[in-house]
Amino acid sequence: MFKLNLKIALRNLWKNKSYTLINVMGLSIGMASCILIYVFINYQLSFDQSFVNKNRIYRVITKMDIDGVVDYSGGVPIPLAPAIREELPQIEKVAAIQKSGGIVKVDDVNGKERIKTNEDVYFAQPDFFEIFKVKWLSGNPMQSLQQPNTVTLTKETANRYFGNWQNALGKTIRFENTLDLKVSGIIDELPINSSFPLKIIISYATFPRSTNTSWRSLRTNSNCYVLLKEGVDEQEFDKALTQFSKKHYSDPKITGKRGNLLQPLSEIHKDERTMNFANQTTPMKSIIGLGIIGIFLLLTACINFINMATAQAIARSKEVGVRKVMGSSRKKLMIQFMSETTLITFISILLACVIAELSMPIVSNLMDTLVVFSFFSNAGIFVFIAILLLLVSFLAGFYPALIMSRFSPALAVKNKGIISAGVGSLVLRKTLMMVQFAITTLLIVGTSIVIWQMKYVREKPLGFNRESIAMVNLPYDSLSQTRYQLAKARILAIPGVKQVSLCNTAPSSALNHDTNFSYNSPVAADFTINTKFVDQDYFKTFGLQLIAGRNISKSDTLKEYVVNETLLKRLNITNPNEVLAKPLIVDGKKALIVGVVKDFNNVSLKETISPIVISSANSEYETLAIKLESTNVVQTMQSIEKEWKSIFTDGVYGASFLDDQINSYYQAERVTGVLFKLFAALIIFISFIGLFGLVSYVASQRTKEIAVRKVLGASTIELIRMLNSSFLRMVLISNLVAWPIAYLLAVKWLSNFVYRIELSVWPFVLAMCVSLLITIITVSLRSYKVTKANVIDALKYE
Amino acid sequence: MIELKNIEKYYANKGVKSYILRHVTTTIKQGEFVSIMGPSGAGKSTLLNILGMLEEPTYGEYNFMGEDVTAMNERKRIELYRNHIGFVFQAYHLIDEMTVAENIEAPLLYKKIPGSERKSRIADILDRFNMVAKKDLFPNQLSGGQQQLVGIARALVAQPSIILADEPTGNLQSVQAEQIMDLFKKLNEEENITILQVTHSERNAQYGNRILTIEDGVIKEDVKVSS
Repeated sequence: MFKLNLKIALRNLWKNKSYTLINVMGLSIGMASCILIYVFINYQLSFDQSFVNKNRIYRVITKMDIDGVVDYSGGVPIPLAPAIREELPQIEKVAAIQKSGGIVKVDDVNGKERIKTNEDVYFAQPDFFEIFKVKWLSGNPMQSLQQPNTVTLTKETANRYFGNWQNALGKTIRFENTLDLKVSGIIDELPINSSFPLKIIISYATFPRSTNTSWRSLRTNSNCYVLLKEGVDEQEFDKALTQFSKKHYSDPKITGKRGNLLQPLSEIHKDERTMNFANQTTPMKSIIGLGIIGIFLLLTACINFINMATAQAIARSKEVGVRKVMGSSRKKLMIQFMSETTLITFISILLACVIAELSMPIVSNLMDTLVVFSFFSNAGIFVFIAILLLLVSFLAGFYPALIMSRFSPALAVKNKGIISAGVGSLVLRKTLMMVQFAITTLLIVGTSIVIWQMKYVREKPLGFNRESIAMVNLPYDSLSQTRYQLAKARILAIPGVKQVSLCNTAPSSALNHDTNFSYNSPVAADFTINTKFVDQDYFKTFGLQLIAGRNISKSDTLKEYVVNETLLKRLNITNPNEVLAKPLIVDGKKALIVGVVKDFNNVSLKETISPIVISSANSEYETLAIKLESTNVVQTMQSIEKEWKSIFTDGVYGASFLDDQINSYYQAERVTGVLFKLFAALIIFISFIGLFGLVSYVASQRTKEIAVRKVLGASTIELIRMLNSSFLRMVLISNLVAWPIAYLLAVKWLSNFVYRIELSVWPFVLAMCVSLLITIITVSLRSYKVTKANVIDALKYE
Repeated sequence: MIELKNIEKYYANKGVKSYILRHVTTTIKQGEFVSIMGPSGAGKSTLLNILGMLEEPTYGEYNFMGEDVTAMNERKRIELYRNHIGFVFQAYHLIDEMTVAENIEAPLLYKKIPGSERKSRIADILDRFNMVAKKDLFPNQLSGGQQQLVGIARALVAQPSIILADEPTGNLQSVQAEQIMDLFKKLNEEENITILQVTHSERNAQYGNRILTIEDGVIKEDVKVSS
């Protein structure tokens, strides 16, 4: 029986090749997207899940409450770790770890420089590896990370530095041209799906500020991890931690209220409030959002299948009738039809796997992650695919099977079955279609809004010039600092260079330093100020405009301040000339204000402009901002690199363009935009197919009516118009349903941006036009064929 | 074998009853070959459908082999289809996706007959109908008469006690029609299979041994055919 059913199913599929093709295409695209989304979500959720004791590992984070504005930091003050170790008995282990970076140099046996690179390094206490168990190829935490000036490398890093990790032990590497570190341990690589991209781990005793006792200074890169004792409740421990915080943050100089709390290990990758060492977080809401899109895709694909299958049912009503009078029960027929669906689903899923596998590199490139998709590395995917197969087979197959097996044999054998069975189910099918179109509309609106906003973000004037500006790093050891002016002069002399400025950051930067200040008052203001250290050519280089006073004058140390408009607004000062020649105290340093600069966006357009103070200080410079001629950029950059290397012989050269830096603020939004475009295109395509199926169904149902109308003198155009009208009505209704939802979602997404487009009616109109156009094209194409069919064929039997 | 008592069938439309069948009472015995005749719209096909349990009468009593059909559940009815009734249609209604042999095999599958016996029965019937060479062809590769032969073979293979045929030769040329009617007669006489056919043709009706004439839903005549 099964073999025969299978054979008949295959013959049926072959006979209706175009239907089969459309069905398989829709389903496989839908399922391929689902598989990709599953792999991505699975990868995101697997972060940091490979450590033993993962449920007892926590990071201590800091909560800052400044005037009701709550902010979180993944960092803690340096004395926190020893204090916790002393005072909180619920802890089994506690370890401080500090992220830092600098130049790492490795010499070969003859003392010649073999490798010189800029690397992230981590200062870690031995207990860190008691909390996070890794495989030690040589040494152990206690031996290898106890003594000062010792370093542990991962196997790959050791291979890279010394050719072979077995040779690395006992050798030295030089950090920042000053510290000689002895290699005393080798560990296996940490998994790629972890928030700890540790490669070079230096003993914490080597860390210069390891004995710092200030509870005031807080750096994101100083982390503290704890391993709770077994059976300790997280909430109870948080209470103890609150008490602990009250005791330690009593320093009145601390701005706002601070406290510590626990962050579970599994949250480190998902909590966007706090950064982690990997600089990579994927908030749960984007994971859920992606999941919802996956469900949408699957739903539209299934709806399609249902529409196509029921459209085909007419052709098979005779078979149902004959089988019934031969003694087939309804259950048997259902099983037969369901197994046919399963067969199609199975074929589609094989195809979906191929599509998913092929598009994996594109997707991981888009997501900036290294997702590994291999059927043999991930057993979970088999389970997922099996579930997908069953789910889709059931969702798509159950309803058509129910309808078809219900045909009354007496009517079915006379080809009348569809009329009686069809009426009730057409309502359902139209509803399904409208759901599909509502989803399509939602995505079209969403896509156009995302595209519009991103265009706005790209083109909005930021208040400074961002084109053709190269940002070149500067080494910041004291010897190099003496050469800054020399470098500036030499680079300015290169043809193709228009302006050069020494500064710590560009006008807009992801790295910001905020600090306390006071103006016209003995106490600090209740908000902080963003500081920028620049030389006198900064304004010219970036095209910043002054609205009062003058530029800062040439100086190697702090001498004068220039502030921005926002600061005046926050201080309720309307006349910019009022502040000129008044003293300002920033971070304890007093100087006169000499100018006011017109506002420019110092952070991404998602945030408002900060109050800013600009001053000079040679010791704070980190970057050379170089304004280039827009022609011959590559050649000019090569000359700059050559010049740079001849001046800073011990440094590592690094350069990027300001435009790229600014665009990178919107990486997440760019991904959203691409995803929206992709999924919108997919869903439009799938809906198009689905509509085609429904039109076919309706057309074949109305074949006789159309024939009669033709005999009565209706023209082809009139008939096509008639068929179109009911579908257009459906599309309009689904548009009306989708608009409010789309509006709410769009408002929510746009609220991420302080600077955003006005939500206009156009995206909605566009969505309606696109969906109407698609409908008209599909319906007309399909119904043209029907109206052109021979009248005699339709009217012959009866 | 079949007993009909006061069978009525009507459709009520806005309070107006339009009758298809009225007061149909008759008995058909095992081994009879009955032809139902009458003008178009007289209710012949409806009567056959009721006999074949494809439609239910609005009123009346229908006993099939001593059992009340109107009170029967679907499972029981399916049992009857499997074991006692064979259908032959005017438009043959072979399943297009199945070969001749598979079409004939289908009812045996529903009857859960083991594979070896299926094979021998199919071989047997193909042999009897001289269709061995055509067993792997699909219905659309056969002529109308050949398709109807397959249709009959399919009805016979399950060894039913009654065959219901709705204008079995309606779509056939007269030579082919004669062949089919000869076959029915032979089956009736040699194997004692009860045959009920709806037909327009006076000539075809002469093959049987009893003619029921229906007009406007009422049995007008019930005559024996003298051979």
